[in-house]
Amino acid sequence: MSTSDPNKLLTKADKLTKLSFTRWTADWKSATILYEQAANSFRLAKDYENAKTAYEKASKGQEMLSSPWDAAKHMESAAALAKELRNWREVADFYRRASELYIECGRPQPASDALAKGARALEDTVPEEAIQLYTDACTVLEEDEREQMAFDLYRAATNVYIKLEKYTDAAALMLKLGLAAEKSNAINSQCKAYLSAVIIYLYAHDFKQAEKCYNDCSQVDAFLSSDQNRCASKLLAAYTDGDVEEIKRVAQSSAVSHLDNVIIKLARKLPTGDVSGLKAETVEGEEILDENDLT
Amino acid sequence: MSVIDLLTRVDSICKKYDKYDVDRQKDANISGDDAFARLYAVVDADIEAALQKAEQASKEKGKASAVAINAEIRRTKSRLLEEVPKLQRLAIKKVKGLSSQEFAARNDLVLALPERIQAIPDGTPVAPKQTGGWTASASRPEIKFDSDGRFDDEYFQQTEESSRFRQEYEMRRMKQDQGLDVIAEGLDTLKNMASDMNEELDRQVPLMDEIDTKVDKASSDLKNTNVRLKDTVMQLRSSRNFCIDIVLLIIILGIAAYLYNVLKK
Repeated sequence: MSTSDPNKLLTKADKLTKLSFTRWTADWKSATILYEQAANSFRLAKDYENAKTAYEKASKGQEMLSSPWDAAKHMESAAALAKELRNWREVADFYRRASELYIECGRPQPASDALAKGARALEDTVPEEAIQLYTDACTVLEEDEREQMAFDLYRAATNVYIKLEKYTDAAALMLKLGLAAEKSNAINSQCKAYLSAVIIYLYAHDFKQAEKCYNDCSQVDAFLSSDQNRCASKLLAAYTDGDVEEIKRVAQSSAVSHLDNVIIKLARKLPTGDVSGLKAETVEGEEILDENDLT
Repeated sequence: MSVIDLLTRVDSICKKYDKYDVDRQKDANISGDDAFARLYAVVDADIEAALQKAEQASKEKGKASAVAINAEIRRTKSRLLEEVPKLQRLAIKKVKGLSSQEFAARNDLVLALPERIQAIPDGTPVAPKQTGGWTASASRPEIKFDSDGRFDDEYFQQTEESSRFRQEYEMRRMKQDQGLDVIAEGLDTLKNMASDMNEELDRQVPLMDEIDTKVDKASSDLKNTNVRLKDTVMQLRSSRNFCIDIVLLIIILGIAAYLYNVLKK
């Protein structure tokens, strides 16, 4: 409808909102409409900077009009534009604000979606921030008891951790995934999560941790009677034997190929480091036992 | 000549030539103190009986009865063989009223006895010369092997056919194993996909429920709005009048346009 210069619209809207002598209350309704129009025109003109500002202001207007939903929507658009501008800090801020507004609406799903979008945008550039966003998204969902949606988020966050080579954190996230899966009765995902955790520990060459993790997971009945359990036990047995061929064979098996791509890549790269060292340790332990065993 | 006469004559002739009757002599001897002669006579009688039984066995049609008779013959033979040493000892003893010739003859008789006993057919195949390690079982001629103990190398060798068969069997089994492995992997993938689908559907169930409620609400709102709209429109103008209104409006517009055209010229 308005073919006039978006800048003019912007100034007009600004005038409407600024309080002065002639104006005692800001006319947010018309201002918001003008802001939205201006923002659209800016976006079409590919003037991202101005569009972003316009969207911000529109969102503020909507807030004033007590419609947080629209406000959140505008915030998301602003964030997307900020991404184009590569203004990472603003991206994070905008998405957070959007998710807060969504929660205000009482809609946790879009809130976590907004955070997830932010995390995805920041994955490559500011991974720590991305992880933070992912975890916040998962928390939002868990509070609302919709853990099933959280699986994907957990998996994405684990991938980021692995890229950062923070293996303990990655494995911890996997275990949290397992917990969420258990609550939502998704046994297959749970078992896959546990197997992934064991593989991550082994990749980090932390055999003791891997064993401990495996023992912990074996407490869970569902895991105990699953395919993934057998695969994990075979893998650990191969490690104790120091049999590289066996490890490679287990890594090629079908149970591992159903896991996440990143995990499969890790598994194929097993074994890292010196497997025979582990074997010597265990053998020594047995010998000592024999000496002390006088019966 | 009458029968009585015949009988008397035969009797007298027999009496005359009695001394040439060996059997009679033997019996006479037996009744004597000669232990050897007695024993020898007994053994002889047994041998004769065994021979008769052997003949009967060979004539026997049923296998089982033949086998039973043969077994009995074997028992008799072993018993007689045991008697032979006794006879030998008795043969050496001197007995009164015995000529030296007879004495020597007795020894020979005793020696000939074992051979005669063995010669009694009792169903075992005659194996005159048994070579190899199986002769140890000669003491038990009752136990028989089908191949008469010829277990040389050839017996246990795998023929070409059987080894080829075995190879083929192994190959087929390996192929089967490979095929089963492929199937197992495929099934694994299927299982994974199926459980993923299961979880996805579980995830979507609450969403569907939400959609259901929301759509219900929206449709009821819509219905309300429609009814209200209809009422409002009705209030303004009933539908029949409404149509008339529109038709008259069109006519007026038409007239106005016509007039406009006329006036423009």
